[in-house]
Amino acid sequence: MTIQQCIDEKKSGFLYGNRLILPFKGRFLKVIVEKDIITDFSPSSKGINIVEEDYYTSLYFLEYNTLRETLSEYENIKIIVVEKDDNIFDVTKHKKLAVYKTDTHEATIEETEHDILFIE
Amino acid sequence: MRRSTLFLVAFFSLFILLNSDTRPDSTDTSKSVTQEKVLSHSDKTTTETEHHGAAPSPYMVIPFLLLLLLIAIAPLFFQHFWEHNYHRIAIFLGLIVTTYYATVLNDFVSLKHTLVEYLSFIALLSSLFVASGGILIKVDKKATPIVNTLFLLFGAVISNVIGTTGASMLLIRPFMRMNKDRIKSYHIIFFIFVVSNAGGALTPIGDPPLFLGFLKGVPFFWVVEQVWLIWIIAIALILAIFFMLDMNNKAGAKEDQQYSGKIEFKGLKNLGYLAIIIVSVFLDPAVMSWVPSLDPLPVGIREIIMFGVVFAAYKTADKNVLKANEFDFGPIKEVAYLFVGIFFTMIPALRVIADLAKENSDVFTSSLFYWATGALSSFLDNAPTYLNFMSAAMGKFGFDLNGGAAQTQLFLQNPDAIQYLTAISVGAVFFGAMTYIGNGPNFMVKSIAESAGVRVPTFIEYIIKYSLPILLPVYAVIWFFFFRG
Repeated sequence: MTIQQCIDEKKSGFLYGNRLILPFKGRFLKVIVEKDIITDFSPSSKGINIVEEDYYTSLYFLEYNTLRETLSEYENIKIIVVEKDDNIFDVTKHKKLAVYKTDTHEATIEETEHDILFIE
Repeated sequence: MRRSTLFLVAFFSLFILLNSDTRPDSTDTSKSVTQEKVLSHSDKTTTETEHHGAAPSPYMVIPFLLLLLLIAIAPLFFQHFWEHNYHRIAIFLGLIVTTYYATVLNDFVSLKHTLVEYLSFIALLSSLFVASGGILIKVDKKATPIVNTLFLLFGAVISNVIGTTGASMLLIRPFMRMNKDRIKSYHIIFFIFVVSNAGGALTPIGDPPLFLGFLKGVPFFWVVEQVWLIWIIAIALILAIFFMLDMNNKAGAKEDQQYSGKIEFKGLKNLGYLAIIIVSVFLDPAVMSWVPSLDPLPVGIREIIMFGVVFAAYKTADKNVLKANEFDFGPIKEVAYLFVGIFFTMIPALRVIADLAKENSDVFTSSLFYWATGALSSFLDNAPTYLNFMSAAMGKFGFDLNGGAAQTQLFLQNPDAIQYLTAISVGAVFFGAMTYIGNGPNFMVKSIAESAGVRVPTFIEYIIKYSLPILLPVYAVIWFFFFRG
């Protein structure tokens, strides 16, 4: 499933402990959680570990224990990501996503509105 | 987090219990009974800045220095340990000083005074934070150096009406949103310089030290009469540097992007809450005699209203606006925890400064008042620093800060006195921008910027790359033309 399909079909992700499960695969450029701006996605990154599964992606936030406790009601995890097949160098293809926690382990994924302040 | 909140509650409960043991200090006996009767809640608390119990051991300054050091270096060397434990460390260091004052010095007056000041500080900050968090301002205009400069100038002016904290919380998001395609660290830093600090030097609403001066009898418009020219020069110089930096910022939106030029407001009812906060600032028995003092409670009517606004503004806010602003209590929690440590650990530091200022009041010149108030306001709370130096200045002319408004007004009839108090006022407000901890809103602006994905300098980078090379020369120019000698 592409990122755009996930957004259009309002697919949810999951938050378990320090793991965010996203129902798509993509190329990650920037992830922001609280005040942590993560841009190092190498295997030796101390901030995040990204594991691609068959049709989804798990993001492990290594410095956090429980993301659901970290995020407040209106706070989100911000992600800049590019579809696997898109040109990463074309900035118009950069998608800005916001992931919100819910009352359950589900996490809603939204393309950030114009209102949300998200600096690339 | 819940355990540390309980810890904080226990910390404050201790004071409420101790409060019943608070006795007037012997130095207060010189006041007439009538004066005591009319002495307001906050006047009492500010009076107690001059309270002289037993001098603390100089070693008790160590917790304060340690806290400053940790704020400076911990995010660099053990960032996540600090992020997860800063509140415990701040409270622990505060408790060391508190226990020392309570058990060794038996000085509950200083502790109570600090608690009252802290609650007043956090009531104002949290109410402005929540009320402005429910307002969304969108400026659909291309961010150019001139537009940005005018925006910051507007922020500087408005900070005199709604306070530096209110202006910062209200304007930081639209400023970042407007610059989202070209934002750099310096945008945030100059916002802190101008809107969060120097801008608010014109009125007692602008910054807390000036408000304390107002409570002590400095006429409301005295500050603007004395400081307007200094304000114009300082703001013009800082904005000129910003303009030049911004001119060199070639990043920006695509040329074909269309702008309507519209300014859109959402959550306007929260302006009503902001108005309530501003009006409640004056609800002090020292300003309005009909306002009841709630002494011995550590809060007054004003603080109760402000905490009420925190609750009401959050509960009635437009959820879409809160979502758009990504409203979170995190930044205010960070300020609340760090500053509880700062307020309590700095009691001995302020006492040492007060003693030094009094002992050496005859050697103080306007230069020394300016630089000493400024240097200390960069790291300490500028409100008590202002009062200590104001007390020293009045002492030079044989006046007593605790002698009531009449003494202050007599003091201000002397041209030298005007010069001294102007130097103290400018030093206290302007130098709050020298570090992240110099003024409450600095940290909150930093937190909001980071949450939006903007990298901002560390504590040390801020000082070395921005405040020393940019602010210090500007403040030196101000000194040269206004306070030299």
